[in-house]
Amino acid sequence: MNAVLSPFASLRLTLVGMVLLAIGAAMSYGNPETTSVWVLVVPMAFLAINLLAAIITNPRINRRGGLLTFHIALLGVVILAAIGRLTHLEAHVELVQDTAFSADELFDDSRGPWHASDLDKLVFVQGPYTVDYAPGMVRGLTHSEVRVPDGQGGWERRVVGDDRPLVLEGYRFYTSFNKGFAPLLTWMPEQGEPQTGVVHMPAYPLFEFKQDNTWKPPGGPEIKFWLRLETGMTEKAAWILDGQKAKGTLVVNSGAERVELQPGETVNLPGGQLRYERLSTWMGYKIFYDPTLQWLFVTAVFGVLGMSVHFWRKFGARMPAAAAADTLKAGNYSATSKGRAI
Amino acid sequence: MNEWNTATELPWLWAGMASYALATFIVIRGVVLTRGGAAGAAVNRGYETPAFIFILAGVALLAMALAERWIRIGHGPFVNLFELLMSQLFSLGVIYSFAYWRYPAIRASAVVALPLMWILGVWVLMLEPSATAFPPTYYNNWLWAHVGLGKFFLGFCLVGTGLAGALLLRGVPRLEPWFRQLPSDAMVDHLAWRFMLLAFIFHSAMLIAGAVWAQDAWGRYWSWDALETSSFLTWLALGGAIHARLTYRLPMRAGAIFIIVVFIIAFLTYFGTPFYSSAAHKGVI
Repeated sequence: MNAVLSPFASLRLTLVGMVLLAIGAAMSYGNPETTSVWVLVVPMAFLAINLLAAIITNPRINRRGGLLTFHIALLGVVILAAIGRLTHLEAHVELVQDTAFSADELFDDSRGPWHASDLDKLVFVQGPYTVDYAPGMVRGLTHSEVRVPDGQGGWERRVVGDDRPLVLEGYRFYTSFNKGFAPLLTWMPEQGEPQTGVVHMPAYPLFEFKQDNTWKPPGGPEIKFWLRLETGMTEKAAWILDGQKAKGTLVVNSGAERVELQPGETVNLPGGQLRYERLSTWMGYKIFYDPTLQWLFVTAVFGVLGMSVHFWRKFGARMPAAAAADTLKAGNYSATSKGRAI
Repeated sequence: MNEWNTATELPWLWAGMASYALATFIVIRGVVLTRGGAAGAAVNRGYETPAFIFILAGVALLAMALAERWIRIGHGPFVNLFELLMSQLFSLGVIYSFAYWRYPAIRASAVVALPLMWILGVWVLMLEPSATAFPPTYYNNWLWAHVGLGKFFLGFCLVGTGLAGALLLRGVPRLEPWFRQLPSDAMVDHLAWRFMLLAFIFHSAMLIAGAVWAQDAWGRYWSWDALETSSFLTWLALGGAIHARLTYRLPMRAGAIFIIVVFIIAFLTYFGTPFYSSAAHKGVI
């Protein structure tokens, strides 16, 4: 078997694979759309085969525990990363305060062909949030409150944000810079049942000057909304964006009519009445799922530990003594000796 | 905003750099004075202790500069180039002084290593000490692990590169007497690669810690952003150099050139990335 595998285990092939991978990595910089994923997959597969053959056939690897651990871990990382890409999910969602997560609202959705979606099992409700801002409108920490089932029929409050994701069934929800306001409206048609919903305004404070949107109620004309906000925002000092404390005047434009509404006020429009219930907020999340994450970490750490053990066994104890002894012979050096294996 | 007048860390920084400058001068002078002695004759080692003291003094003064800045701006040296350079000068000094103390055989290679640190030294002295806001994703403990491991990587790389540089310079007949204090070429080569292998271990660990941090901070562990791509290429270059040495039994001077190339790539990863990417790590702000 070794005779068959040996040609694949060549260190020269390793170098070729490394050069190809380096080219693929350079081409993948910034994830350009024009670069195929194959520029990475092919050299990685090539190196994985080379590595596997070397692990089996090369005694300089498989007879040294530390080095063997490192190379097996390296192979494991490549395999796990591949499995991770095949089973992953990345998506975004925007959740309005006091509404439950729904898998139907995902956008920018990217998932591997082997992804078995458990998104429908996820239950949590978005709560209010605050975001700290330093002077100069520099965003600080985000504190987003969510409620998750506590398993006893109640709800457990959690605060997530930035590097503290909400983790449910392996799905990780990260708050994003994308968040804003959403007026809660009720449309009461002249005939039929009232409908309550929200209008998402653009992200705040990123689009502070463009807090507008349109909506066409069933059987009614298109309505243009503009939200005039009082959030305490200031560029010169630190402030906290807090949707609970923000006030918003909703400017409603329908045809030639322009009306300013405060929460609780109603306006008559062709086809029905519109009531501005209250000002709500929405929070944007990035969703990430990769079942191999923990295994990747453990495997990679084992790899580094293996390499460390190899280093220590090979050099650790001898290094100072050898160097010190050689110092005494300073001046008696040779310029012709070849490098040694490390 | 001009912060030259309010940056209380500057006197400490300047004093630290002056101390490094003195150490560099003492080392160069000491090594050059070796010139003229016949091979095998007693070599000048009198400069080693004063040089070591000035490196340590530089480290202590830079520690004060970092502390002063930390107190002034309220966060550690993790964000802008000024504080990154200052922090690297400190950590390189710590690691190099440890190697200098622990392995007396390598001391003459300081004639290469210390001037390399001066690239950072001159650079930091030209930058405005402005404060930058601390991104929310930097409050993660994995940042410390990532940055700390990276400092060990670059420190060991510096020691290895100092030895590789000395090995190459020793091949120039006029400069050969400067390096009589060093052990044989074979031993210098051996030591240089040991430090590079240590650097490889710490670089691997740095990538792991960085991936964990990136997952927490930006919801992905790898995204081929500028720093990730560049640091992966550094890892590949170092891994490739180690394999090339094994495969082709590289002559020592060729191996030394490989080490220097790896150091250049690493240097560009650490300090060149801001020049070709507006956001070194995606989502950093």
